[in-house]
Amino acid sequence: MDFATLASQFFIGLSRGMIFFIVSAGLTLIFGVLRITNFAHGALYMIGAFIAYSVSTLFGQGPYGFWLALLVAPLVVMFVSLVIERGLLRFIYNRDHLIQMLLTYSLVLIAGDLVKIIWGTEYKSMDIPNVLRGSFNLWGASLPWYNAFLLIVGPVVALGLWLFLSKTHLGKICRATATDREMVDVLGINSTRVFATVFALGGWLAGLGGALIAPTTTISMGMDASIIIYAFLIVVIGGLGNIWGALISSIIMGVGEAFGILFIPGVAIIIPYIIAGVLLILRPSGLLKSAW
Amino acid sequence: MVRMVGKKKSLIRLGSILLITALMASGCGSSPSPTKTEEKPVKVGIIDTYTGGAAVYASDSLDGFKLAVKESADKGGPKIEFVTRDDEFKPDKSTSWAKELVMREQVDFLAGTTNSAGSLAVSQYAKESKVPFIVWGGMSDKITGEAGHRYVFSTLPNTAIIGKAGASQLSKTSYQKVWLAGSDYEYGHSVINNLWSNLTTLKPGVEKMGETWWRVGETDFTPYINAIRSAKPDVLVVGTGGADMVAFMKAVKATGLNQEIPVWAHTSYDPATLRPLGDQAPEGVLGTNPYLFNYPDTAENKAFVDAFKKEYNREPAAFALYGYMGGKFLGEAIKKAGSTDKEKIIDAMEGLTIDTPVGKATLRKEDHQVAIPMSYGVVAKVNGIFTGNDLHTLNSEEIMPSIDAILKARSK
Amino acid sequence: MSTNNLKLIENPKGKFSNYLGLGLAITGILILLMAPTILTQYYVYLLATVFTTALLATSLNLVLGYGGLLHLHHGVFFGVGAYTVAIVTTKTSWPFAVAVMLAPLVAALIALVIGWFCVRLRGLYFGMLTLALGQLVWAIVYRWNALTNGDNGIHAIPVPEFLSSINSVYYTTLLILVISLVILYMITKSPFGLTLLATRDNPVRSESVGINVKRHRLTAFVIAGFFAGISGVLFVLVERSVAPSLLFWNESAEVLIMCLMGGLTVFMGPMLGAGILVLISMIVGLYTEYWLLVLGLLLLFLVLFLPQGILGYLMEIYNKSQTRRGEN
Repeated sequence: MDFATLASQFFIGLSRGMIFFIVSAGLTLIFGVLRITNFAHGALYMIGAFIAYSVSTLFGQGPYGFWLALLVAPLVVMFVSLVIERGLLRFIYNRDHLIQMLLTYSLVLIAGDLVKIIWGTEYKSMDIPNVLRGSFNLWGASLPWYNAFLLIVGPVVALGLWLFLSKTHLGKICRATATDREMVDVLGINSTRVFATVFALGGWLAGLGGALIAPTTTISMGMDASIIIYAFLIVVIGGLGNIWGALISSIIMGVGEAFGILFIPGVAIIIPYIIAGVLLILRPSGLLKSAW
Repeated sequence: MVRMVGKKKSLIRLGSILLITALMASGCGSSPSPTKTEEKPVKVGIIDTYTGGAAVYASDSLDGFKLAVKESADKGGPKIEFVTRDDEFKPDKSTSWAKELVMREQVDFLAGTTNSAGSLAVSQYAKESKVPFIVWGGMSDKITGEAGHRYVFSTLPNTAIIGKAGASQLSKTSYQKVWLAGSDYEYGHSVINNLWSNLTTLKPGVEKMGETWWRVGETDFTPYINAIRSAKPDVLVVGTGGADMVAFMKAVKATGLNQEIPVWAHTSYDPATLRPLGDQAPEGVLGTNPYLFNYPDTAENKAFVDAFKKEYNREPAAFALYGYMGGKFLGEAIKKAGSTDKEKIIDAMEGLTIDTPVGKATLRKEDHQVAIPMSYGVVAKVNGIFTGNDLHTLNSEEIMPSIDAILKARSK
Repeated sequence: MSTNNLKLIENPKGKFSNYLGLGLAITGILILLMAPTILTQYYVYLLATVFTTALLATSLNLVLGYGGLLHLHHGVFFGVGAYTVAIVTTKTSWPFAVAVMLAPLVAALIALVIGWFCVRLRGLYFGMLTLALGQLVWAIVYRWNALTNGDNGIHAIPVPEFLSSINSVYYTTLLILVISLVILYMITKSPFGLTLLATRDNPVRSESVGINVKRHRLTAFVIAGFFAGISGVLFVLVERSVAPSLLFWNESAEVLIMCLMGGLTVFMGPMLGAGILVLISMIVGLYTEYWLLVLGLLLLFLVLFLPQGILGYLMEIYNKSQTRRGEN
């Protein structure tokens, strides 16, 4: 096992962690502020991927198509999330966790079949734009450009989130709502606007994750199921509602899995559960404090 | 949480009684038995996965089957009716639908299902209820292998055949150090196991360097490819399918693996794999493939493709062929048996040879497995389009599993 | 967790309504006993699956409705029970009775392990952990080929001669269902059950009165797992094959929906929900492949308009009429 392989595997794992982070950041944000387990988060991610595919295909799968898809898909998913929040979620904010979860689960079922109706069952694929194709040499091993791209996008998103939450007025209100909803209401701040914003932002992140992953994989039904397990594990490990926790656990999961693949490739499927299991036994309430 | 309220059994029992009454009412209204003296059509109950990632195969099989049924009716042959049920890729739903189809719909034949576990479960029920089951979706070699019996047939090549064909192709190369990989489910393991056991027999010098198994539905293959690349095998042999196949091929191209290390994967040059990849298909990937609409370039294949295109506005893929063969075998068997009696039809199906788009196909008498040729070749860009190139055909005799081995496994 | 405002029933009719309830219950059972002679075989089989599912849903409700815990992956124990029977009968030479007795015990053991980790958490966290650990069990079953046959599943599970006909399976499942329901009902009415309700409604207060909330919750969890294991045994009797999909999360979600549909607050609620869901899924499946869409819409409707479930709603109506009568 030479250094080049270890290093390249580390960076690949890190780039995977970035996708995990983008998706689970949205999920943990929704947890923290709205206190809702959004099972539909994976479905939003899947819709993001499908829309990215459609936009890209509309432009002949060329380079403009990719960047436009990256712009449009998260926005569309954000809009869908807003509709869901205003149209359905807001009626159940005061209800049981179970009711809230089952509502989001119903959306998973509905979205699954709607995607089938709209896009059909055939496997779809989206092209990586020319500028990001191929790989480059990293100390003797090769790293695909697209993975390097993800390594840039991830921290940018993390930085953007941090700026939003700690520097903007709305962001600070979001954090306050996560910590003490009643107090925010008492202070006369419109908490419903906060909820709508946060849910829409979570949806935007999910859509972005889907759009980013789309060129590297097959776009098909069942995508939502495969990401949601990872996202939940990461959010639980990191601390419900804690974005930095989501970042740390995403990195641990991505890099951990990458190294696991290097050393125990025969049973790679179990690695995420082992990582989650070990971390949860060590710190059952999450690595970082929940609800920031 | 709501507070618990006390019981009022009367209301609950009332509800249950109404429920039972409703069931009784619908139970009494079971499907009428045919009273006509003319030949009643053979009814086929199809259980398949019309939801989820594997749905594309189920719809291909169904369309192929429907075409065969239509052709049979147009030629004045036996009439075949069918109904479909969705098992959502869950074997427990496959069995419960099978029971509904047999007991309530009173079908004569069962057919389907893409989920191998579902196929095995339904096959078991078919054996007990003596209703013949045509598998055109499940690829586990156990279906006509150790778990096979009189009431199950398979009209698609299974993992034993795929493995043997792949071994045959690889034995003609000079690769010695092999890295095995695939999707971590029964199909992936079965293809690789069959391939490896056949390859070590054909080419005793091969050496297994290592194994890598990724979860089904993996989105990013880069870490796996990177790890395998560092091991520097002579060839990477991959057992995967479905959505994973397209994603894997994409990653091979994106990482440039195909330029460093030869790769083998079943269906690598199948249009279903290449079409979504566009111009991002990895050249040079070896593979075997059961069916191509442009190879062999025979009259039968052309006729089939044209008829399919006319009916469904797309070219037929492999699963369409399997469904088509299922329907055609059934139609021919009914004609040969001269009756709609299930047992007579089974007898007629055993050893039956028919003309298909890939040439002559036979349902082997001993294991009820269809014997058709398989092609092998390599992915290449021909006239600007990615397709299978350097194609050779393996006869069915070269790739079918040994009957002795199957009979021995069954008797255990 | 928020509480809805439902009044606790006081039963003014007392003994009379209890006897009425008992009489109707016996009538119901008698009708069910006669079912195989009236219904066609398929419906007998369907009822047997309803019984199996009803037991599973009722066992979940011990934790969900009575315990007030967000148990999201109950199906795991059902799957473990079913697999235990499958593995013991196909891979060992132990008698069938051993398999049947071992199944609920193994399920209860897994419930003990998972529950031990989960009861230290509350609310949402409890739910997430049940999900994560349940999926871990699924992954193990899926991957441990030597023991479980992996994703091929285990088929042709042998059962004793007397259980080979649909009718005998029907009566067996009915018998076990009734016995289990009686036991579960007695548990809910026992001091343990009532204490469990207390831990649900006000855990802090219960703790301060000296009740070991964690222990009660864990016990409920294990009991629920035990009965889920039994329903797993019934499943094997009816279907005779198992596959890892039984332990995947969406199966557990369907059980949750059944409890919600029937009513979390009524003992018989999950049973009704199970019956309705099994029936609807069958009827809808006859006509369309979009069953999941239908289920999603149904669930959406339930969540928004009928979260107390059908029986919960009927209870509300009845209570309103009772109080009106009381006022007169």
